[in-house]
Amino acid sequence: MSSLQGYVDRRVLLILQDGRVIVGTMAGFDQKSNVVLSDSKERTFSEDDGVQEVPLGLYLVKGDQIVLIGEIDEAIDSSIDLASIRAEPIASIHY
Amino acid sequence: MLPLSLLNAAQNKPMLVELKNGETFNGHLVNCDNFMNITLREVFQTSPDADRFWKVKECYIRGSTIKYIRVPDTLLDAVKDEQNRAREMGRSARGGNVSRGGAYPSFFLAFHFRLSPWGSSKAGVIACRVIIQKQRRL
Repeated sequence: MSSLQGYVDRRVLLILQDGRVIVGTMAGFDQKSNVVLSDSKERTFSEDDGVQEVPLGLYLVKGDQIVLIGEIDEAIDSSIDLASIRAEPIASIHY
Repeated sequence: MLPLSLLNAAQNKPMLVELKNGETFNGHLVNCDNFMNITLREVFQTSPDADRFWKVKECYIRGSTIKYIRVPDTLLDAVKDEQNRAREMGRSARGGNVSRGGAYPSFFLAFHFRLSPWGSSKAGVIACRVIIQKQRRL
Protein backbone atom coordinates (compact mmCIF):
# COMPACT_ATOMS: atom_id res chain seq x y z
CA MET A 1 0.00 0.00 0.00
CA SER A 2 1.13 3.47 -0.84
CA SER A 3 1.19 5.74 2.18
CA LEU A 4 1.91 9.32 3.13
CA GLN A 5 3.32 8.23 6.51
CA GLY A 6 6.89 8.77 5.31
CA TYR A 7 6.16 12.45 4.69
CA VAL A 8 4.92 13.25 8.19
CA ASP A 9 6.92 16.03 9.85
CA ARG A 10 8.84 16.56 6.60
CA ARG A 11 8.77 19.64 4.44
CA VAL A 12 6.54 18.89 1.44
CA LEU A 13 5.31 20.59 -1.73
CA LEU A 14 1.70 20.22 -2.83
CA ILE A 15 0.24 20.98 -6.21
CA LEU A 16 -3.53 21.43 -6.25
CA GLN A 17 -5.98 21.03 -9.09
CA ASP A 18 -6.40 24.81 -9.36
CA GLY A 19 -2.66 25.10 -10.08
CA ARG A 20 -1.66 26.38 -6.65
CA VAL A 21 1.70 25.35 -5.25
CA ILE A 22 1.87 25.11 -1.45
CA VAL A 23 4.87 24.20 0.67
CA GLY A 24 4.49 23.23 4.29
CA THR A 25 5.34 20.72 6.99
CA MET A 26 3.03 17.73 6.82
CA ALA A 27 1.43 17.50 10.26
CA GLY A 28 -1.01 14.75 9.35
CA PHE A 29 -3.10 12.99 6.75
CA ASP A 30 -5.94 10.48 6.52
CA GLN A 31 -7.35 7.71 4.33
CA LYS A 32 -8.76 10.18 1.82
CA SER A 33 -5.38 11.94 1.48
CA ASN A 34 -6.71 15.01 3.27
CA VAL A 35 -3.54 16.71 4.45
CA VAL A 36 -2.69 19.05 7.33
CA LEU A 37 0.17 21.45 6.63
CA SER A 38 1.77 23.64 9.26
CA ASP A 39 3.84 26.75 8.55
CA SER A 40 2.56 26.57 5.00
CA LYS A 41 3.34 29.08 2.27
CA GLU A 42 1.91 29.47 -1.19
CA ARG A 43 4.45 29.88 -3.98
CA THR A 44 3.12 32.15 -6.66
CA PHE A 45 4.86 32.08 -10.01
CA SER A 46 5.00 34.90 -12.51
CA GLU A 47 7.07 35.74 -15.53
CA ASP A 48 7.65 39.32 -14.41
CA ASP A 49 8.24 39.29 -10.66
CA GLY A 50 9.78 35.92 -9.93
CA VAL A 51 8.50 33.48 -7.33
CA GLN A 52 6.85 34.92 -4.25
CA GLU A 53 6.02 33.12 -1.02
CA VAL A 54 2.74 34.05 0.64
CA PRO A 55 2.46 32.82 4.27
CA LEU A 56 -0.71 30.79 4.92
CA GLY A 57 -0.13 29.19 8.33
CA LEU A 58 -2.03 26.06 9.35
CA TYR A 59 -3.87 24.58 6.40
CA LEU A 60 -6.17 21.60 5.88
CA VAL A 61 -6.27 20.61 2.21
CA LYS A 62 -8.93 18.21 0.95
CA GLY A 63 -7.50 15.10 -0.68
CA ASP A 64 -9.64 15.33 -3.79
CA GLN A 65 -7.99 18.66 -4.67
CA ILE A 66 -4.44 17.35 -4.45
CA VAL A 67 -2.59 16.49 -7.64
CA LEU A 68 0.88 15.89 -6.27
CA ILE A 69 2.78 15.67 -2.99
CA GLY A 70 6.56 15.70 -2.98
CA GLU A 71 9.17 15.83 -0.25
CA ILE A 72 11.43 18.86 -0.33
CA ASP A 73 15.19 18.55 0.12
CA GLU A 74 15.59 21.50 2.45
CA ALA A 75 19.29 21.96 1.74
CA ILE A 76 18.67 22.32 -1.97
CA ASP A 77 15.46 24.30 -1.51
CA SER A 78 17.04 26.89 0.76
CA SER A 79 19.90 27.36 -1.70
CA ILE A 80 17.46 28.45 -4.41
CA ASP A 81 16.93 32.15 -4.87
CA LEU A 82 13.19 32.10 -5.57
CA ALA A 83 13.03 35.78 -6.50
CA SER A 84 15.35 35.17 -9.44
CA ILE A 85 13.16 32.46 -10.94
CA ARG A 86 10.74 33.42 -13.69
CA ALA A 87 8.07 30.92 -14.53
CA GLU A 88 4.51 30.76 -15.73
CA PRO A 89 1.90 29.81 -13.16
CA ILE A 90 0.59 26.26 -13.40
CA ALA A 91 -2.72 26.14 -15.21
CA SER A 92 -5.72 24.80 -13.36
CA ILE A 93 -7.44 21.58 -14.27
CA HIS A 94 -10.95 22.00 -15.56
CA TYR A 95 -13.36 19.31 -16.49
CA MET B 1 -2.53 13.75 13.51
CA LEU B 2 -5.74 13.29 11.57
CA PRO B 3 -7.18 16.21 9.60
CA LEU B 4 -10.59 15.57 11.13
CA SER B 5 -9.27 15.76 14.69
CA LEU B 6 -7.85 19.15 13.83
CA LEU B 7 -11.23 20.19 12.48
CA ASN B 8 -13.05 18.91 15.57
CA ALA B 9 -10.66 20.88 17.76
CA ALA B 10 -11.45 23.99 15.72
CA GLN B 11 -14.99 24.27 17.09
CA ASN B 12 -15.85 27.85 18.02
CA LYS B 13 -12.60 29.00 16.40
CA PRO B 14 -12.40 31.32 13.41
CA MET B 15 -11.59 29.74 10.07
CA LEU B 16 -11.46 30.40 6.37
CA VAL B 17 -13.05 27.90 4.01
CA GLU B 18 -12.47 28.02 0.28
CA LEU B 19 -14.79 26.06 -1.98
CA LYS B 20 -13.83 24.40 -5.23
CA ASN B 21 -15.56 27.22 -7.13
CA GLY B 22 -13.31 29.79 -5.44
CA GLU B 23 -15.87 31.25 -3.06
CA THR B 24 -14.54 31.80 0.43
CA PHE B 25 -16.33 31.76 3.78
CA ASN B 26 -14.88 33.42 6.87
CA GLY B 27 -16.61 32.47 10.09
CA HIS B 28 -16.58 30.61 13.38
CA LEU B 29 -17.03 26.85 13.28
CA VAL B 30 -20.25 25.70 14.94
CA ASN B 31 -20.09 22.02 14.05
CA CYS B 32 -18.58 19.50 11.67
CA ASP B 33 -18.83 15.81 10.81
CA ASN B 34 -16.72 13.04 9.29
CA PHE B 35 -17.67 14.08 5.74
CA MET B 36 -16.22 17.50 6.57
CA ASN B 37 -19.69 19.00 6.26
CA ILE B 38 -19.53 22.12 8.41
CA THR B 39 -21.70 24.84 9.84
CA LEU B 40 -20.29 28.32 10.35
CA ARG B 41 -21.74 31.32 12.19
CA GLU B 42 -21.17 35.06 11.64
CA VAL B 43 -19.96 34.43 8.11
CA PHE B 44 -18.39 36.73 5.54
CA GLN B 45 -18.84 35.18 2.11
CA THR B 46 -16.64 36.34 -0.77
CA SER B 47 -17.24 35.69 -4.46
CA PRO B 48 -14.52 33.87 -6.49
CA ASP B 49 -13.23 37.17 -7.94
CA ALA B 50 -13.33 38.79 -4.49
CA ASP B 51 -15.48 41.60 -5.89
CA ARG B 52 -18.69 40.87 -3.99
CA PHE B 53 -19.28 40.19 -0.31
CA TRP B 54 -22.13 38.91 1.78
CA LYS B 55 -22.65 38.81 5.51
CA VAL B 56 -24.44 35.65 6.59
CA LYS B 57 -25.63 34.80 10.11
CA GLU B 58 -25.12 31.07 9.74
CA CYS B 59 -24.41 28.68 6.89
CA TYR B 60 -23.98 25.00 6.18
CA ILE B 61 -21.29 23.84 3.73
CA ARG B 62 -21.24 20.39 2.19
CA GLY B 63 -17.85 18.78 2.76
CA SER B 64 -17.41 17.59 -0.81
CA THR B 65 -17.46 21.19 -2.15
CA ILE B 66 -14.53 22.30 0.03
CA LYS B 67 -11.07 22.89 -1.43
CA TYR B 68 -9.21 23.78 1.75
CA ILE B 69 -9.68 25.16 5.25
CA ARG B 70 -7.38 27.58 6.99
CA VAL B 71 -7.35 27.46 10.80
CA PRO B 72 -5.46 29.37 13.54
CA ASP B 73 -1.83 28.27 13.97
CA THR B 74 -2.31 27.78 17.71
CA LEU B 75 -4.66 24.84 17.10
CA LEU B 76 -1.84 22.51 16.09
CA ASP B 77 -0.19 22.67 19.51
CA ALA B 78 -3.57 22.40 21.24
CA VAL B 79 -4.40 19.18 19.37
CA LYS B 80 -0.93 17.70 19.94
CA ASP B 81 -1.12 18.43 23.68
CA GLU B 82 -4.58 16.88 23.84
CA GLN B 83 -3.38 13.74 22.05
CA ASN B 84 -0.37 13.39 24.36
CA ARG B 85 -2.65 13.72 27.37
CA ALA B 86 -5.03 11.08 26.00
CA ARG B 87 -2.10 8.73 25.35
CA GLU B 88 -0.78 9.28 28.90
CA MET B 89 -4.22 8.50 30.32
CA GLY B 90 -4.43 5.31 28.27
CA ARG B 91 -1.01 4.22 29.42
CA SER B 92 -1.65 4.77 33.12
CA ALA B 93 -5.00 2.95 32.87
CA ARG B 94 -3.46 -0.04 31.09
CA GLY B 95 0.08 -0.28 32.34
CA GLY B 96 1.78 -0.70 35.69
CA ASN B 97 0.44 -3.22 38.20
CA VAL B 98 -3.22 -2.29 37.93
CA SER B 99 -4.17 -5.47 36.09
CA ARG B 100 -2.84 -7.52 33.25
CA GLY B 101 -6.24 -7.71 31.61
CA GLY B 102 -6.30 -4.03 30.74
CA ALA B 103 -8.52 -1.38 32.22
CA TYR B 104 -11.31 -3.93 32.56
CA PRO B 105 -11.02 -5.93 35.82
CA SER B 106 -10.30 -9.54 34.98
CA PHE B 107 -13.00 -10.80 37.33
CA PHE B 108 -15.61 -9.14 35.16
CA LEU B 109 -13.78 -10.32 32.09
CA ALA B 110 -14.10 -13.90 33.33
CA PHE B 111 -17.73 -13.36 34.23
CA HIS B 112 -18.57 -11.91 30.81
CA PHE B 113 -16.62 -14.65 29.16
CA ARG B 114 -18.60 -17.27 31.06
CA LEU B 115 -21.85 -15.73 29.75
CA SER B 116 -20.66 -15.66 26.12
CA PRO B 117 -21.69 -18.54 23.80
CA TRP B 118 -18.20 -19.92 24.12
CA GLY B 119 -18.28 -19.67 27.91
CA SER B 120 -20.48 -22.73 28.40
CA SER B 121 -18.12 -25.01 26.46
CA LYS B 122 -15.54 -27.03 28.34
CA ALA B 123 -12.69 -24.92 26.95
CA GLY B 124 -14.59 -21.82 28.00
CA VAL B 125 -14.93 -23.01 31.61
CA ILE B 126 -11.22 -23.80 31.74
CA ALA B 127 -10.29 -20.41 30.25
CA CYS B 128 -12.49 -18.81 32.86
CA ARG B 129 -10.65 -20.57 35.68
CA VAL B 130 -7.33 -19.52 34.21
CA ILE B 131 -8.40 -15.89 34.18
CA ILE B 132 -9.57 -16.03 37.80
CA GLN B 133 -6.41 -17.81 38.95
CA LYS B 134 -4.29 -15.19 37.20
CA GLN B 135 -6.27 -12.55 39.03
CA ARG B 136 -5.61 -14.20 42.42
CA ARG B 137 -1.90 -14.39 41.72
CA LEU B 138 -1.68 -10.64 41.13
